[in-house]
Amino acid sequence: MTYVGIIITFVFINNFILTQFLGLCPFIGVSRQMEPAVGMGFAVIFVMSLASLITWMIYTWILIPLGIAYLQTITFILVIAALVQLVEMTIQKTAPPLYKALGIYLPLITTNCAVLGIALIAVRSNYNAMESFVAGFSAGVGFMLALVLMASIREKLDTEWVPKPFRGVPIAFVTAGLMALAFMAFDKALLRNLIG
Amino acid sequence: MKGIVVTGAKLFLICAIAASVLGFVNAVTEPVIRQRKIRELKEALESLIPEGEVGKLVKVENNDVVKGYYPVKKDGKLFAYILDLRGNGYGGELKILAGFKGNGEIVNVKLMDNEETPGLGKKAEKPEYMKKFIGTGGTKPVPVRKDMLSRKDADAVTGASITFMGIANALAEGSEFAKKLGGKS
Amino acid sequence: MIEHFTKGLFKENPIFIIVLGLCPTLAVSTQVVNALGMGAGVIFVLLGSNFFVSLLRNFIPEKIRIPSYIVIIASFVTMVDLFMQAYAPTLSKNLGVFVQLIVVNCIILGRAEAFAKNHTVSESVLDALGMGIGFTLGLLLISLIREVLGAGTITLFPFGNFDGVIRIPVIYNAPIRVIGLATGALLVIGYLKGFFDWMAIRKKKREIEKRVSAVKV
Repeated sequence: MTYVGIIITFVFINNFILTQFLGLCPFIGVSRQMEPAVGMGFAVIFVMSLASLITWMIYTWILIPLGIAYLQTITFILVIAALVQLVEMTIQKTAPPLYKALGIYLPLITTNCAVLGIALIAVRSNYNAMESFVAGFSAGVGFMLALVLMASIREKLDTEWVPKPFRGVPIAFVTAGLMALAFMAFDKALLRNLIG
Repeated sequence: MKGIVVTGAKLFLICAIAASVLGFVNAVTEPVIRQRKIRELKEALESLIPEGEVGKLVKVENNDVVKGYYPVKKDGKLFAYILDLRGNGYGGELKILAGFKGNGEIVNVKLMDNEETPGLGKKAEKPEYMKKFIGTGGTKPVPVRKDMLSRKDADAVTGASITFMGIANALAEGSEFAKKLGGKS
Repeated sequence: MIEHFTKGLFKENPIFIIVLGLCPTLAVSTQVVNALGMGAGVIFVLLGSNFFVSLLRNFIPEKIRIPSYIVIIASFVTMVDLFMQAYAPTLSKNLGVFVQLIVVNCIILGRAEAFAKNHTVSESVLDALGMGIGFTLGLLLISLIREVLGAGTITLFPFGNFDGVIRIPVIYNAPIRVIGLATGALLVIGYLKGFFDWMAIRKKKREIEKRVSAVKV
């Protein structure tokens, strides 16, 4: 698969939130306002790109040669948890302004299914190191795109009248559903242009 | 200091126990999984062209789509090929086994390992899904776009166009490959 | 003691009330059989993790509790994954990567952190059973709505001459396909959540009215 193909697939066609439902919890949780959504988005892109590359290395160079591929899940989730911690400490020491912006979102990322999801999917799809990295990066961009779009809609929704039982989470889901419907257009339109 | 050592030792102990338990579970399940995979492959190969006798896998290097082929004999003569194909789906790679005649005509198709969405792309695992491809590739072209399908078939691939395209393009490539092999083993 | 079991079934139903553990549930809710398989997997992992977290609650130091919980949970998830691959291959293929993703299901770590770490083993097991069954019921409801409307079928396990698929007349010939797509999952859960919130609001209103009338008397 070409790099462009991977990017288009994971950003639009196979958007993690809107078609795979990966990372839905933070998507609903932090999309109430624009600023945290942007912060969370960048943090996720950062961690996802790194995590998919590092888990690929560990899988290919350690787990496979040792014949312990069945420890995949346990290793990946520990690596991601450690990575998130490490990133948090590094940013805190080297770039305090960035830490101020991203700091509170980083710990939330460990349990973001999208991160583990991309690591597992990259390995299952037999991607090479660079493809895994690109897939992680694009899945992160797709996550941020959906999150930012959602945040801007929800900021507007705050000033609109919504039936009382639907306020908050339910209307967010309905909105996400309509967004997913819109994202389906990428499927056909893009393909016709790209493949024929 | 002592606290850290004890804490570290405890975490190590938990990890060690978890790893050994999993090692044991893996030792039990691994042979079952391996045998099932071998059996599934054998069944898939036999079901694709039931009247023929499937030969040994010939590996193909430097081809992104065709990873290898099995020559199929009938009454001692070469009859068809089963190609081991790779396509691109939603969730990454699609593993496809497909039988072709020497003129590139598709005899039968089976979708093997894939990561497609359950209920959408995964529908392609069902034999009915592949009916639209059977018989194409020789005189008729392989349908690689939705507008080349009948209305009903096109409806059935809605929501999973990528899966359809992935399979169709792999099959079109496979058909060309079979034509090149052209009845020779 | 029994309330630890029953609270998970409806009062704190994991999917609708807490809205946790959504990610791995929606993608497999296209068919009833997948929902049942996923539910069984989650119940097993939840039982195992709650049992061991509670059993080891005095052994695991506070500092390393999260990594320890993750190791315990991931071990059970791997077991489920391996057993499914070996003995339920069709289910394993259907659920795909979502079996491994049970690890990051917020319900499981959430129950370990919020309940099992400071309750006894038997209470934690009841809590896990209640939450697990509640989760399965919720997922079952979503998949039932999605499969019936989106495909006009109910897919169960095949046995005997029964191929495992119940076809619903009328809808089967003209299903509302969009409900089976990604959009449908999000809309269904949105409307369900709205419905449950509406019931909760109505209940609260009634209680207030009752109290008000009691004061008046």
